[in-house]
Amino acid sequence: MMRNTEARFGIVTRSIHWISAVLVIGMLGFGTYIARMEVDMSNFHLFGWHKSFGLVALTLVILRVLWHRLSPPPGPMPSGPAWQDRLAKGTHLALYLLLLAVPLTGWIASAATGIDVVVFESWTLPRIAPVSEGWETAFFAAHGVLTKLLAALILLHVAGAFHRRDGTLRRMLRGRA
Amino acid sequence: MLRFLASILALTIWSATALAEPVSYRLDAARSVVGYEVGFGDDLIRGQIPVAAADVTLDFRSNANSSVSVTLNAAGATSSFPFAEQALKGPKVLATGQFPTMTFRSSTLRIGTTTAEVDGQVTIRGVTRPVRLQAQVFRQRGTDAGDLSKMSVHLTGALNRSDFGATGWSDMVSDRVVIKVVARLDRVE
Repeated sequence: MMRNTEARFGIVTRSIHWISAVLVIGMLGFGTYIARMEVDMSNFHLFGWHKSFGLVALTLVILRVLWHRLSPPPGPMPSGPAWQDRLAKGTHLALYLLLLAVPLTGWIASAATGIDVVVFESWTLPRIAPVSEGWETAFFAAHGVLTKLLAALILLHVAGAFHRRDGTLRRMLRGRA
Repeated sequence: MLRFLASILALTIWSATALAEPVSYRLDAARSVVGYEVGFGDDLIRGQIPVAAADVTLDFRSNANSSVSVTLNAAGATSSFPFAEQALKGPKVLATGQFPTMTFRSSTLRIGTTTAEVDGQVTIRGVTRPVRLQAQVFRQRGTDAGDLSKMSVHLTGALNRSDFGATGWSDMVSDRVVIKVVARLDRVE
């Protein structure tokens, strides 16, 4: 079933969720690696791939938001304590915001360097920020801080999924609890 | 700029047989190269910067009457790969939007037999610093011995880009920039 219902996640939502999960967790490791590597001609292209996959992650979260406007997902399982439900809701909201903010801050910072943001070694993205060392410094700093916050929230999200015994995780895997 | 220095050197080197009054030379820009190299990890980024204008006057009786002045078109600089070229011209390195040219003006020469040292002032990003270049002078192919009408001068030197405020990408690209110039000079008749 493609669409979400009041009781289950459709295949589109689940696919976007798991593809995003693999992509974002992979990007956390990939980004950490390229931030620490000694750059030369042999590995410079890795920055391009980081930007490419970052754009895919941004596209996926936008598609997800749009899809959920068309096909609203089911509400949370009501079995947890109230504070846990509130925490889960807040975590989900923050995850969405960070999944938008992290790639956007990276894109803005890269554009501010004055160097073209080229993805998949083929397409140059629009320059969405002025060439400015101030912008570059501020947005790369924000990119780093928000990435760490995203990593922390992903851990919290995963921990919550395993902690709950109400079928929440099963519903995202199979569609229904 | 280096090309001009080269011309000075060449003239001086052969001063024993040379002219008795200041002589002007014209840089053959099409056959001259102002190149640079910077470290990029274990690799080198190479590129060239075109010459916008040059004045070379040489007095073989007195080095003090010789002068070299070169203006480079920084905005036309090239690099061995596109991203480096954008970075080079950007605000953190040459800032060519604000400083489209670089200049060199000679101050003193120290002449050997076929080599020389050229001291001068280089201006990059509006900041002027001293620089010293080593030069070797060659007769151009097809010219006779003692013919100073056409010369090739190879100049090398180095500078630290941070001295000029060109500090961008210092975590990736070396501070030291090696300059390699091949200047081909034709005497103005």
